[in-house]
Amino acid sequence: MQNNDSCSYKEGPLPSCAPLAVPMLAAQPCSEPAYDSADALAKGTLFPGLDLPFMDYVANGPVENTPQAELMALDFVCQELALYLDTHPDDKEAFKTWKSFSALAKEGRKRYVEMCGPVTRTDTANFDAWVWPADPWPWNGGRKAEKK
Amino acid sequence: MFVYEKKLQYPVRIKNPDPAMAKYIISQYGGPDGELSASLRYLSQRYSMPYEQVKALLTDIGVEELAHLEIVGTVVHQLTRNMTVEQVEKAGFQDYFVDHTAGVYAQAAAGFPYSAATFQVKGDVIADLAEDMGADGTTTKEQHSPKNLVKTHN
Repeated sequence: MQNNDSCSYKEGPLPSCAPLAVPMLAAQPCSEPAYDSADALAKGTLFPGLDLPFMDYVANGPVENTPQAELMALDFVCQELALYLDTHPDDKEAFKTWKSFSALAKEGRKRYVEMCGPVTRTDTANFDAWVWPADPWPWNGGRKAEKK
Repeated sequence: MFVYEKKLQYPVRIKNPDPAMAKYIISQYGGPDGELSASLRYLSQRYSMPYEQVKALLTDIGVEELAHLEIVGTVVHQLTRNMTVEQVEKAGFQDYFVDHTAGVYAQAAAGFPYSAATFQVKGDVIADLAEDMGADGTTTKEQHSPKNLVKTHN
């Protein structure tokens, strides 16, 4: 141990007196090539390096252009940005981006509910009857969203 | 508190039954590296986390894992609905079918029921986060399977 004399025998020198036996994971380089956003949504990842097909199954075709797909994409951006913000709460630029996408997702959700029915039980208040139990439920294909 | 959203996080539309594939996919539902394990792991580790950023992250990820659980359950449901006896026999799906028919049951591919023994909550920041990194390494690969499968069956 060179310049970490203050670390005890119970600690290692990285990053600074860290506990021993902490596993290391290879860090993904920032410069890695990326898919464009539509492609990334269909493949489930932005990075070709993380695009790991299951057995010989290959993701093909873009996500359909429906209100459902639009809402899904917006919710996806909000979710991923939120996870980033959880550990980077002081990143003002990211927070600004999250706010604008949240607003878009809110509008998208409103359009989707009008067209396809309630997403949350509370949404049922916008309807004339208790339509919450109405088929189809998500595992049966979900509400058919009309194409724009 | 949880609020249910009556939509999948990612759409699933499988036209034809494929019980042979369901035999694999069910493990992502209730197997050792499945979504149920993932969800309970993160949501249970939250309580002993001392840092607010990690509390938030485990909450947000744990909830999202429940959305993944619903996607995988949907995949299994759509792979097994309307299957014929011939398809069950040809796929070697009888062992599952005799106990659960076309129901979606939380079990591993090898047949053992879902168990909390598939994850750990140690109450120690380093131990739990190390467990999470290992667990996420296993699912990074598998999480692509339902999505790719759906596309193939479209």
